[in-house]
Amino acid sequence: MDLTGRFTREDAIRWAPLMVLIALVILFTAINPQFLSLRNFARITVAAAPALMVAVGVTFIILMGSIDLSMEGVLSFTAVLFCYAFVKFGGTLAAGGWIALPLILLVGAVVGMINGLIHVKLRIPSFMASLAMGFVATGATVLLTGGGIVKIDDDVFRGLLTYRLLGFPLMVYVAGIFVLIAWFIQTRTTLGRNFYAVGGGEELAHASGLNVKRVRVAGFTLAGVFYAVAAILQVAKLGQAESVTGANFMFISITSVVVGGVALWGGVGGVWNALVGVLIVNVINNGMVVIGLPDYVQDGMLGLLVIIAVVLSTDRRAVTVVK
Amino acid sequence: MDLQRLKPHLPWITLLVLVAAVGIVDDTFLRPANLLSLAGDIVPLFIMALGLTFAIYIGGIDLSAQSMANLVTVVASVYLASFGAWVAVLCIAVGFGFGLLSGYITTRLLVPSFISTLAVGGVAFSLAQYLSGQRALNMDAAQRDAVFGWMIGKTGPIPHELFIAVGLLALTLFIERRTTLGRALKAVGAGEPAAAASGLNVARYKMLAFAISGALAAIAGLLFAVKLSGGAPTIANGFLLPAIVAVLVGGTPLTGGVGGVLNTAIGTLIVAVIRASMLYFDIQATQQQMIFGLVLIGAIALTIDRAKLRTVK
Repeated sequence: MDLTGRFTREDAIRWAPLMVLIALVILFTAINPQFLSLRNFARITVAAAPALMVAVGVTFIILMGSIDLSMEGVLSFTAVLFCYAFVKFGGTLAAGGWIALPLILLVGAVVGMINGLIHVKLRIPSFMASLAMGFVATGATVLLTGGGIVKIDDDVFRGLLTYRLLGFPLMVYVAGIFVLIAWFIQTRTTLGRNFYAVGGGEELAHASGLNVKRVRVAGFTLAGVFYAVAAILQVAKLGQAESVTGANFMFISITSVVVGGVALWGGVGGVWNALVGVLIVNVINNGMVVIGLPDYVQDGMLGLLVIIAVVLSTDRRAVTVVK
Repeated sequence: MDLQRLKPHLPWITLLVLVAAVGIVDDTFLRPANLLSLAGDIVPLFIMALGLTFAIYIGGIDLSAQSMANLVTVVASVYLASFGAWVAVLCIAVGFGFGLLSGYITTRLLVPSFISTLAVGGVAFSLAQYLSGQRALNMDAAQRDAVFGWMIGKTGPIPHELFIAVGLLALTLFIERRTTLGRALKAVGAGEPAAAASGLNVARYKMLAFAISGALAAIAGLLFAVKLSGGAPTIANGFLLPAIVAVLVGGTPLTGGVGGVLNTAIGTLIVAVIRASMLYFDIQATQQQMIFGLVLIGAIALTIDRAKLRTVK
C-alpha cells in the first residue's frame, strides 16, 4: 500500500498469484469435491516437488534479470550421473550410495558455474548461452546412457517417495527444507541481496562497487545445485533416469516462476513467488485431470497463463525496447 | 587485414575449408550426386532457418518454429483429404497467423520474444496434440503423390526440394533487399529506438517479421510432412537447434541488423557439411546435439555485436 493507505497496483501484483491459487482451489473443489482431499493434495505436492526445485533455482537467475533455459539438459545429465554414481558406490544408501548425493550436488554446481562463465566471460545473452548449454548437456547424457535407462533399486532411497509422514511422502519435506534454505539465502545473505541489486539496476549495482559478473556466476552455480536436487527427487520419484528425464521442466518451471509473480525484468519477487507459482501450475494440471480434461490442454493453458502473467507484471511506462 | 574486416567473409571461408577438409578425408563426399542429395536433405531445415533469419534480423528470436512445423505436419495430414491442394494455403496461413500472434504479444503486450514465442509454441503444441489425437498420422499415399508429388521428385540428378529452396531464397532475398519492408526490418535491427524516432511503425514491421518466420516454419513443416507422408506433434523435434545454428554461423548475429537470408543459405550448408562429416566419423544423430550446442556458443560469441548490448543479461 502507498503512503495514503490505498491499494496500489504494486499490491495487486504482489497478492494476485496467491489469490489466483486460492480461487483455483475453490473452483476445482466446487466442480469435483474429491479435489480437496489429503490424498489428492499429497499427489499434487509429489508431482510439484522436483519442478519446485528447478523453479527455485531459476528464480535466483530471473531475479537478476537473466534467464536460464538449460534446466532440461542439466536435470537429465545430473539424474543419470546420480544413478551411475549411486550404483557404483554400492547400489544402496547404506552400502555407500549416499556418497552420490553430495557428489551430484557438486556436479550441479560445476555445470551451473560453466553455464554462468560462458554467459559472463563470452558476453553472450543468458537465454542463448543456457539454451546451447542445455543442448550440450542433453547430448552428453545421451552419450553416457547410449539411449538406455539407468535404474536404482534401493528401498531406503525410494523411501523418499514411499515413506509417508502425516500423509505426505518424505520428498515433499526435503523439497520444503530446500525452499527454506533458498529463502534464507535470498533474505539473510549478502549474495541474496546482491541478486536484487543486479536485477534492480545492473549499472547502478556496478557503479556502487558490486562485482556484477561474480554475482551472476554465483547465481548460475546456485541454480545448478537446485537442478541437481530436482534430479535426485525426480529419480526418487521414478526409480530411474534417462536422457529425457528432464523433458518439459523448462516450460513448466519458467511458467511457474513468472506466474508466481517474479518479474522477467529482474529485481521483483522471490522464492515464495516461485512456490506459489509451482502450486498454481500443478493445481491446474491436477485439476484438469480431476475434472476430466485431456492432459494436452496443459501446454496451451500454461502458454496463455505465462503471457498474461508477464503482461500484468510489466510496468509499461518503464519499458522502452522489447526484443 | 584485421578481424573486423575479415568477419563478413568468415562464413563462406568456413564453408570452403570444411568442404575441402571433409573432401580430403572422405573421397566420395565431393561427388556431385552426393553433394546434391546432401543439399536436398537439408531443405526443410533451410526453410525454417530462412524464417528464423527474419526474427533474428530484427534482434528477436523465434523459439516456436519447431512447434509450428510440428503443428503443420499434423494439419497437413489431417486436412489433405478434404482440402486437396488448398491445404498448403491453410498451412501457411496457420504459420503466418501464429507468427503474427507472437509478434503482437511481443510488440503490443511487451513480452520478450523468447518468452512469447515459447508460449505460443506451447499453444501450437497443444493444438497439434488435439488435432492428431496424440497419434502419428499418415497421409493417403496416392493423394499425396497427386497433390504434392512434385515437391519430392527428381529432375535428372537434381532433387526438387532444391528448386523450392532456391525459389524461397529468391523470394526472401527480394523482400530483404528490394522492398520497403526489407529496409524497415534492417532499420529496426540496426537500431530500434532510432527507427522508431524516425517515424517508422516499428511494431507493425516486427509483427510482420515474426509472421514471416511462422509462415516459413509452416512451409518447412509442410515439406517435411510430404517427405515423410505423415505428421505427428513431435515429428520435427530436433530442428530448432540446427536451424538457429544455421542462422548464426551464417553471420546474422543475435543482435540483428546485419547478415540476412543469403548468409543463412551459407550457414545451412555449413550445418549440412558438419552433419555429413559427423556421419562419416560415426557420431550418432542424437549426439550431434552436443556438437551443435558447442558450435552455437562459438558462433554467437564470434558474431554478436557487443556495442549494442549495454548490459549482457
